[in-house]
Amino acid sequence: MIAPACLLSEGSPSLNQIGGVVLVAYLVLLVGIGIVGFLKSRATEEDFYLAGRDQGFLVTVMTIMATFFSSAAILGIPGMVYKDGVSFLLFAMNLPCAGVAVYLLGSRIRRVGRKRSYVTQGDMIAGYYGDSAAIRIAVAMIGFLYVLPYIIMQIKAGGYLARGMFPDAGNVALFGKEFGMFELGATALSLVTMIYVLIGGMRSVAWTDVVQGFLLLGGMVLAAVVTMAAMGGPVEFFRKVSALPPDSLSLPGPSGTWTPWKLMTVCLFASTASMIQPGQWIRYYSARNDRALKQSALIFAVALPICYLFGVMLVALGGRVLYPPEMTGDGLIANPAVGEFDQIVVVMIKEHLPAMMGVMGAVLVAVVLVAVLAASMSTADSNLHALSAVVTRDIYDRFVRPGSSQKERAWVGRIVIVAATLLALLLVTTGQESEELSPLKLIADLMFAAIAFACQLMPVTIDMCFIRRGTKAGALAGMISGVLVVFLFTPFPGLLFGSGGLIGDVMHMTGTLQTLFDIGFCGFAVNCSVFAAVSCFTSRLDSDKVAEFARDMLSTSEDNSTNPS
Amino acid sequence: MKVDERRRRRIGLALFCLFALALVMGPGPGIYLVNPGIEEANSRTVLGMPVIYVWTVFWCSVQAAVVVVSYFTVWKEQKK
Repeated sequence: MIAPACLLSEGSPSLNQIGGVVLVAYLVLLVGIGIVGFLKSRATEEDFYLAGRDQGFLVTVMTIMATFFSSAAILGIPGMVYKDGVSFLLFAMNLPCAGVAVYLLGSRIRRVGRKRSYVTQGDMIAGYYGDSAAIRIAVAMIGFLYVLPYIIMQIKAGGYLARGMFPDAGNVALFGKEFGMFELGATALSLVTMIYVLIGGMRSVAWTDVVQGFLLLGGMVLAAVVTMAAMGGPVEFFRKVSALPPDSLSLPGPSGTWTPWKLMTVCLFASTASMIQPGQWIRYYSARNDRALKQSALIFAVALPICYLFGVMLVALGGRVLYPPEMTGDGLIANPAVGEFDQIVVVMIKEHLPAMMGVMGAVLVAVVLVAVLAASMSTADSNLHALSAVVTRDIYDRFVRPGSSQKERAWVGRIVIVAATLLALLLVTTGQESEELSPLKLIADLMFAAIAFACQLMPVTIDMCFIRRGTKAGALAGMISGVLVVFLFTPFPGLLFGSGGLIGDVMHMTGTLQTLFDIGFCGFAVNCSVFAAVSCFTSRLDSDKVAEFARDMLSTSEDNSTNPS
Repeated sequence: MKVDERRRRRIGLALFCLFALALVMGPGPGIYLVNPGIEEANSRTVLGMPVIYVWTVFWCSVQAAVVVVSYFTVWKEQKK
């Protein structure tokens, strides 16, 4: 393997130096946008969380997209293609499903949110089901179960990325302690993200998402162009891909994971669940009008599959040709030159771009690596912001200090952002040294567990938006049962209760189910059944209130009489 | 007006069915129609590309087309 740094001419700056300059410029830009966002903001809770409900098309589409595309989009998902070959390409079909959800669910959520001054998903769901405190808490808990792993995952990705960007950098001594590049990268990502979320709220988050979104899309396409060129053009590329080992050209792939039912349920349920997680829900409220969401749906369904199917997924397939994974007694492992499956895009561009373009290539490597960082930061900032809204609106304002002022709540929100960032950072840095957290090592695995929890809000969301026949008790029972089912699919029951006896049998069963279907779908099926059954036998919601809610949701005229703040 | 609404609903239903079909045919069980066995995986190509890649691009395009048509015909916007 040729070391990319060796291909730069003598006297030219090293990859580390170029990467450092690009990275610092990017981080300064983000903080600058945060400051501008702060200067434009008003000191109200609604402005901090929803940017005055006035985000236009470009900001709406980019912030929804950047929130949706976490580090998994450019690390985890290509890692899966690298591992499982063409079978995982079918995952790209989750994007049109996500697009449809943006319009069909998002526009309805936006209309009610605007008319009723909702800020969080708890406001709407609990408000619909009779202003129930239990439902508000359940929705907040599901929000935590989604948001916290996602924040942790993005910070971890920042650590990995720093290690990839500066492989030759040694440890740095700070405050009498040695820190490696992983710790420094994770810390830098979390602190910069925290700062701009803290000072500018939703406005800063959304504006930085625009920058990050463009970087991300550019990085995905650039990486594909480089791969094609490095492999002799599209015809030669596909000739080499077609000569891959047969199991990587058919389903269920070398690891035997991707059966059609599993792929189909993942495409439908994981994408829709990602579109109703707390951060996205807030983005629907903050959209200026239906048109912004409608156009976002179009971009999701048309432009993003292109970036996947003709972009980053081809990079991973090229990686499979150049660095074939190896089958060992413990299963399939990444090629030693790649290290971990998730790193394939990073390795591909770092190895080939400088070889093709010299110093300019090194600059582009730095830009693409910053794009990966952007993917992580854009998801981390949205989730931090959403977490702050959930704690402030659904917990603090309802149960700790009801009637607190907007200013007070905005400050509590900021404290939550700081506390959550530091906690996540602590978990990441200590988890990195602990073997017990190894089941959660692969980024994509953690993503699917978090999404599966968010999926448990789907039945109530569908009921509110389309059916409107569920009851308060049904909604609560459904959500609790769905979350418990998803919990059984995670490694935690085994870690908490051991893997013998009944727990062992349950884990065996969930292990089998997991090979057949998406985890979120399994929870969803139980959730829906319980929701429907309990709703049949419990008292219905006030029909006048339900009708009024439906009118607010389906009204085709924008009601300006309600002042959102 | 009512006729327009009825037509819109009919188009919406047709598009929904087409979208669902694409989901079943693409990542769903429909893939068995083209999924190559181990012995023929290297020879099953379309224009030199692996058949599953082409299959994915095709059904993804169908879904994208459904969204584009919905955008222009079915999805209503709120008016000020």
